[in-house]
Amino acid sequence: MMGIGTMLGAAALSAVADEQLFGFVRGAETLPQGQSELYQFVTLRSGKAEGAYYGLDFETELEHGFTDRFQASVSLENRYIYNRGVSGDRDALDDTDSYRFGGVSASGKYRLLSPFKDPIGLALRLEGGYVQHDEVDGLPEKEFYIAPELDFQKNFRDDTVITELWLGTEWAWGKQPAEQYPRELAFQGGLGVSYRFASNWFIGAESNIRAEYPLFDLNQFEHYVIYAGPSLHYSARRWWATLTCAHQVWGEGTGEPLDGRTYAEETNWQIRLKIGFNF
Amino acid sequence: MSDWFRRIMASSAIVLAAGAVPCYAATYLTADQAQKICFTNATRFVAADVKLSPEQMKAIEKDSGVRVRLDTQKVWRAEAGGRFLGWFIQDEVLGKHEFIQWVLALNADGSVRQIEILDYRETYGSQIREDKWRAQFYGKEHGAKLKLDDDIKNIAGATLSSRHIADGVKRLLSFYEFALKP
Repeated sequence: MMGIGTMLGAAALSAVADEQLFGFVRGAETLPQGQSELYQFVTLRSGKAEGAYYGLDFETELEHGFTDRFQASVSLENRYIYNRGVSGDRDALDDTDSYRFGGVSASGKYRLLSPFKDPIGLALRLEGGYVQHDEVDGLPEKEFYIAPELDFQKNFRDDTVITELWLGTEWAWGKQPAEQYPRELAFQGGLGVSYRFASNWFIGAESNIRAEYPLFDLNQFEHYVIYAGPSLHYSARRWWATLTCAHQVWGEGTGEPLDGRTYAEETNWQIRLKIGFNF
Repeated sequence: MSDWFRRIMASSAIVLAAGAVPCYAATYLTADQAQKICFTNATRFVAADVKLSPEQMKAIEKDSGVRVRLDTQKVWRAEAGGRFLGWFIQDEVLGKHEFIQWVLALNADGSVRQIEILDYRETYGSQIREDKWRAQFYGKEHGAKLKLDDDIKNIAGATLSSRHIADGVKRLLSFYEFALKP
């Protein structure tokens, strides 16, 4: 298992699709039939209420266009977690310095409307996966999840200004003992705007939100968080790269002080580098 | 941290090696070569570049529904022994990542004679160079719809390039109407 993990890097909880202008937001485009892409993502999550915390997620994903409208992908994830002194009431974690197999995931994405010829682009996406170690402290779990979502995309000014919006839910089972409750429902989404300021280059900004409810019960609010930050994207003929630096701009969590931050499962920063190769 | 660092480096190296396919620029024709293809019987090409006034640019945009990015258009008159054959217009449209360099040849009556792609560097969509796809435009005149999935077939997987070329033809037919037509 470690051999496979080492060989393929890893993936976080999102198997993603096609050339991506943003670190976390997804649009409505799909790969052409018969084309494939290989992605390597690295996400750094850092900053808790106290102490030193660094979580690194390594994602590797292989994606294929089965038709011009439908693509599917598989991915692997590994993570490295280092934390020292994260011991406050709101985010108490055991000190650790460990490299863990994260899990596997698969996704399918079907494009209903094209952002290039219809008034707005729209795709349906479904992701499912198995998580063996949680992303907060690398604790063992046996989590299965499914995450359906809608991906919207609207382009302006000869497709040089791209706006993308995604909205979805995530249904997860088997989160114990990493978390207190066995089941959890999350609402998630994001919005991004990017501008092609030179050939091959896009610069933009994006924001993402996630709210979690244990036991699939909307009365059992756990936390919500909003991240926002800039994105920079470069694309060559056979590869592309995207760098996003997202900061927690607002958060609220049960049992945490109402200071506009949540740290129990979140961090101050999420910095993601994506590299994709076409073949 | 050295152990995990080695693992990261190993996985990254493998992924990078797997993706290290060669990149290449796809320049298919020069403008000179395209001139000879579009007007095989021409004996000379007379440069007749056009600088558009702001009013002309607005009129073309309004007429075609396509944004006019540049105020100068490279144009040649194709002639054979003093007889006017048509117009040869060099242009560029936005590809997904880079500009697509292309030319539009018009017959003397302003109808589309030929399209040639000079330079295409996008990851997907080089099918726009196929004769059959380009031939859909031939004979089209100012006022044609030139709309994907209508009178122009879309190239699946290259929708952006297809649409921008179709929009480019529409814009240049308006350009002919407002700036070239005698």
